[in-house]
Amino acid sequence: MDKQHPFMRLLSYALSDRKLLRQALILLLIATAAEVAGPLLIKLFLDDYVVPGHWQPNAMLAIGGAYLFFMILAAATNYLQAVRLNIIAQHAVQTLREQVFAKAMAMPLSYFDRTPTGSLISRITNDTESIKELYVNVIGTFIQNIMRILGILIAMALLDWQLMIICLLFVPVVTALMYLYQRLSAPIFHQARTLISDINARLHETIQGIKVLQLLGQEPRFRRDFTALSNEHNRVRLRNIKLDSLLLRPLVDMIQVALLAGLLYSFGYQSLSSPVEIGVIYAFVTYLGRFSEPLIEITQRLSLYQQAIVAGERVFTLLDSDNTTPTRHADARIHSGKIEFRHLHFSYNDTQNVINNVSFTIPAGQFHAIIGHTGSGKSTLTQLLLRFYTPQQGEIEIDNQPLEHFSEEELRQRVGIVQQDPFIFNSSVRDNIAMGQPFSDSQIMHAATQAGLHEHVQRLPQGYNTIMNERGSNLSTGQRQLLALARTLIHNPKVLILDEATANIDSHTEAQIQKALMQLRGKITLLVIAHRLSTIEKADQILVLNHGELVQHGSHNELLGMEGVYRHLYEMQTLEVGEQ
Amino acid sequence: MYNGPTVDTIWLTTSMRILLKLRWFFRLKWRSYGLSFAALLAIAGLIMVPPWITGRIVDAVAQQRLTLNDLLLDIALLMGVGVLVYLLRILWRRQLYGASYQLAALLRSRIYDHLTLMAPAFFQHHNTGDLMARATNDVTAVEMTAGEAILALVDGVITGLVVLLVMAVMMSWKLTLLALLPWPIMGYFMWHLGNQMHDTFTEAQRQFSLLNDKTQESISGIRLIKAFGQQPQTLASYSAVTAEVSRANLEVAKVEAKYDPTIFVTVGTSFMLTVGGGAWWIHQGELTVGELTTFTMYLGYLIWPMFAYGWTLNLLERGSAAHTRIDELFNTAPQIGDHGTLPAPATTRIDMAITQFRYPGSEHHALQQIHCTIPPGTTFGIVGHTGSGKSTLINLLLRQYEDDAAQICIDGQPLHHYPLALLRSQFGVVPQDPFLFSVTLAENIALGRPDATLDEIRAAAALACIDSDILAFPQQYDTLVGERGITLSGGQKQRIAIARALLLDPPVLILDDALSAVDMGTERTILNHLKAARQGRSNIIICHRLSAVTDADEIIVLHHGAIQERGRHGQLLEHDGWYSQMFRYQQIEQQING
Repeated sequence: MDKQHPFMRLLSYALSDRKLLRQALILLLIATAAEVAGPLLIKLFLDDYVVPGHWQPNAMLAIGGAYLFFMILAAATNYLQAVRLNIIAQHAVQTLREQVFAKAMAMPLSYFDRTPTGSLISRITNDTESIKELYVNVIGTFIQNIMRILGILIAMALLDWQLMIICLLFVPVVTALMYLYQRLSAPIFHQARTLISDINARLHETIQGIKVLQLLGQEPRFRRDFTALSNEHNRVRLRNIKLDSLLLRPLVDMIQVALLAGLLYSFGYQSLSSPVEIGVIYAFVTYLGRFSEPLIEITQRLSLYQQAIVAGERVFTLLDSDNTTPTRHADARIHSGKIEFRHLHFSYNDTQNVINNVSFTIPAGQFHAIIGHTGSGKSTLTQLLLRFYTPQQGEIEIDNQPLEHFSEEELRQRVGIVQQDPFIFNSSVRDNIAMGQPFSDSQIMHAATQAGLHEHVQRLPQGYNTIMNERGSNLSTGQRQLLALARTLIHNPKVLILDEATANIDSHTEAQIQKALMQLRGKITLLVIAHRLSTIEKADQILVLNHGELVQHGSHNELLGMEGVYRHLYEMQTLEVGEQ
Repeated sequence: MYNGPTVDTIWLTTSMRILLKLRWFFRLKWRSYGLSFAALLAIAGLIMVPPWITGRIVDAVAQQRLTLNDLLLDIALLMGVGVLVYLLRILWRRQLYGASYQLAALLRSRIYDHLTLMAPAFFQHHNTGDLMARATNDVTAVEMTAGEAILALVDGVITGLVVLLVMAVMMSWKLTLLALLPWPIMGYFMWHLGNQMHDTFTEAQRQFSLLNDKTQESISGIRLIKAFGQQPQTLASYSAVTAEVSRANLEVAKVEAKYDPTIFVTVGTSFMLTVGGGAWWIHQGELTVGELTTFTMYLGYLIWPMFAYGWTLNLLERGSAAHTRIDELFNTAPQIGDHGTLPAPATTRIDMAITQFRYPGSEHHALQQIHCTIPPGTTFGIVGHTGSGKSTLINLLLRQYEDDAAQICIDGQPLHHYPLALLRSQFGVVPQDPFLFSVTLAENIALGRPDATLDEIRAAAALACIDSDILAFPQQYDTLVGERGITLSGGQKQRIAIARALLLDPPVLILDDALSAVDMGTERTILNHLKAARQGRSNIIICHRLSAVTDADEIIVLHHGAIQERGRHGQLLEHDGWYSQMFRYQQIEQQING
C-alpha cells in the first residue's frame, strides 16, 4: 500500500463495489455497440434499397424498427451506466471524506498544535472535492470516451478498413496536438492560477486590514497595486485564450474538415476505378461527427486529473500519518472526584521535561489553585488530567483508579474543562450549551444559572435562541467563559478544570465567575489555573509550579507561614502597595 | 417540478435585464463584439459548404460522372473553407473572450476600489467570505454572461437561422418539416431538464457549503470536541452531512445523465425520419442521395443551437443574480463623507465634547458626557474595563464613526472640516489587534511611508524594540510575513505595528492597548524611547495594564462610556477608586504571573 501511486490508490476506492462496476461496464459496452449500430443500419438501408431503387416496404420498415430499437437501447443503457458510474464515484468520495475526517478527529492534540486549521480544512473539503472530479469527470469520461472511439473504429473497419485507417490517423495527430497544448499551456495556466490566488489573497488581506490601510492613507497605493495585479491576470488569460484558440477546438475542427476531405478524396478516387457503396461514405460522415468530441473531452479533463492526483497525495499523507491516541474501553466510574498525581514526568518532545516529578492529591470537592509563570507547566498538568497527552512516567488517578481505566465517555462527562478562550459555534446559545445533545430547556437554563450566564442571556435579543456570531463576537471574553462553564456544568461533572482568563476581562464578569465557582465548591472538585489574586486567596490549597516542578503546596495561610516563593511574592506586593 | 409559463416568462425577462445593465460595457467594446458577431455570421455561412461539397461528390459518384479534376477542385475548396473557418474562429474567440475577461478585470478592480472606501461599520455587517464571493464567483458569473452567454445567444440564433434557411429554402422544406418534428419535444425536455438541473445544483451547492461549515467548525473546535468526548457524535453527524452531499450530487448526476440520451434520441429520430422521408422522395425522384447526405449533415448543426438556448438561459440567470449582488455593493455609499477643505491644523489641540454616542443599530450608549482636552505635546491616558468605550473614543477621533452629538475639534475646527486623508495623516495609530500584510517586514513597517529608507525603518524598529528580533531572522528585514513566511508572536506583531506608526512620526500617536502582549521590561523600554523620541508631540495611550500610563499628563477612567475618574497617576492613586484598586491588583498579579 505504501509505495502505491496515488492514482491506483484512488482507483481502489472506486473498485470496492465490483458488482456495480461490472454492471456499469457491461451497460456501457451495450450502449456503445447500440450507438454505433445506427449508422451501420442506415448504410444498409441506403445501399440495399434506396440507391439501387429496390422499394421493399417491409424490409425497409424492419430496418427502421431495428434502428429505433438500438437507439432506445443505447439511450437507456447510457443513462443507466452513467448513473451507476456516478453512484460509484459518489460512494468513493464519501468513503474517502469520512476516512479523512475521522483521521483528523483522531489525531492527537499535538497535531493540531502544529497544523494550521485552514490547511487541514482544505484537506478535508477542497482536496476531496478535487478528487471527486477525478471520479466523476475524469475516470468516467475516459472509460466512456475510449470505449466510444474504439466502437466507432471497429464499426468503420467493418465498413471499409482503408477509410478507417484515414480516421485512425486522427487519433495520434490529435493526441500529439493535445500533448503540445498541455506543454505550452501548463506554464500559462500555472501563472494564471498563481495570479488569481494572489488576487484573492490580496483582497482577503485588504478586507482584514482595511482599518490600517485607511488610517495610513494607503488606499490609493493599494488600489493601484490591485488594478495592476488584475490587469496582469487579464493579460495572462489573454495569452491563454490565444493558445486555446490556436490549438484547441478551432484546430481540431479544421483537422476534422481535413479528415472529411481525405475521406471524400479516397472515396471518390476509389469510385473512379471500382464501384463503391454510397452508404459507406454516409456512415463515415456520420461517425466522423462523433469522433473528435471524445478526444477533445479527454484532453480538457487532463488538468482535472493532475489536480486530483496532487490532492490525493496530500490526503493520503494525512491518512497515512501515525495516530498515537489509543482508544480505550474500560468501565471504571468517577463518583466523587478525588484526584491524585504521583511522580509524574512529561515531555512534549522527549528531550525537555515540561512536568518534573509532580505529586499531589486533591480530596473530592476541594478547590485548588495552580499558579506559576508562563511556561511553568500549569496547562500541561490539566491537559494530562484530561488524557490529551500521555505522561512518560508516573500515574494520575481519579477516585483511586488509574486514568486509563476510564472510558472516553466517562472521563469526558465527569471531568469538565472551561477554557480561557472557548470556541463558540455559529449557532444558538442553547445549542452552544447543549452541544448537540438532547438536554431539556430546564436543564439548559439550570446550567446557565449555575454559571451566572442566565442574566446575560436574557439581555440578548432572542434569549437562548440568539445565534452567536462567528467565533462568538457578540459576547464579551468573560461572557464566553461563562458560556463555556455552563456547557460543562450541564454534564454534572465531578471535576472541573478552569483556565482563568489572563486579560481583557472586566471585574464584573470576573466576580461572576468567582461567585459561580464558590457555589460549586464542595460539590465538585475544582482545579483552577489562577491569575487573579482574589481567586488564589479563596482556594483551599495552592499549587505553586516552577519550571515543571511543584515547589510549594498548601493553603494561603500555610504558605504565608512558610519561607518560600509564595510568601516572598506576597510580602513584596503588600509592601509595595503599602508604600503607595 | 412544474413552473407555470408566467413564472418562466418573468424569470426570462429578469434574466435578460442583465444584458441591458451591461450595455455600457457592450458600448465600450462595440468593436470587439461587432467583429465577433461578423465572424460568427461568416462562419455560419461557411460551414454550409462542406456538407454541400460532400453531397455533390456523393451524387457525382452515384451518377458515375465524377472526374479527378472535379474531385481535386472540390477537395481544395473544402480545405480552403476549413482554413478560413479556423482563422475566423480564432478571431471571434480572442475578441469575445478577450472582452469578457476585460470586464472581469474591470469589475474586480472596481469592487476593490469601492471596498477601500467603506468604513469599519460596513465590514462589521458583511462577512469577509461574502465580500470575497462577490469579487470572485460573482465576477466570474458576470464574465460568463458577457462571454459565453453572448456567444451562445448570438451564435445559437445565427447558426440556427442560417441552417434552417438553407435546409428549408435551398434543399427541401418538406424534408425540413419532417426532420424537425422531434425537435420541439426535445426543446421541452431540455427546458424541463434545465429546471431540474437548476434545482438539484442549487441543493448540491447548499449541501457542500454545509459540509464546509461542518468541517470548519469541527476542526476549529477540536479541543472542545475532545474535551467533551464528542468524537462519536461529531463523526456521526459528519457522516450524515457527507451522505447528504453525496445524495444531492447524485441527484445532479442523474439529471445530467439524462441530457445525452435525450439529445441522442431526438437526433436519432430526426435522422431516421430524414432518411426514411428522404428515401421516399428519392424514390419519387424529388431528391438525390447526395442531397440527403448534405441534409443530414446540416441536421447535425442544429444540435448546438438547441443546446445554446438552455445554456444561455442558465448563464443569464446566474449572471443576473451575480450582477445584482455586485450592484448592491456599488450602491452602498461611503459611510463617512469626505468634503472637508481646511488645510492641515497648526496645532494638535484636541477638544472632545461628546454628549452621547451610540453605534448604529445599538440601543446602548457607547459613550456619554465625555468632555476633555488634549493640549499639544502631552500624553493622555484612557483606561477602563473591556467595553467601557475606550476604543469607541478613538474611532470617533479618527472619524471611523461620526455623530452630531459627538463633537470633536482639532485646532478648534470640527473633524469633518478637514479632508479625511489629511485628518488621518495627523495620527499614527497602533490598533489593539495589529494587522500585518503578507509582505516583508520592512514593507510592513514602511506601510504608511513606502518611500522610507532601510535606515529610517530600522530606526523606527529600534524605538519599538523589534530591531534585534528582526535581525535574528535569516532574511532580516526581507523576511516575509504570513502564510508563505514566518509567524510572529503577538508581542512581535505589536512591536512591528508600533514601529509602523513611529516611522510616520505623526503629530499624534495613539496606542490602543498596543503593549498588552509585550512583557513588562520591554514595555518600559518602549515607553522610555517614546518619551525621548516624541518630545513636543502628543500621545494617546489606551491600556489595560496601568503601568503604561503612569507617566501620562492626564488619565481618564471610563466606566460604561462615561468618565468615572480623571487626573494624573499619583492623584488617582490617592483616592480609593477603580484605578488605585486595579493598579494594586495588577502589581500583585504581575508578580504571580511573572
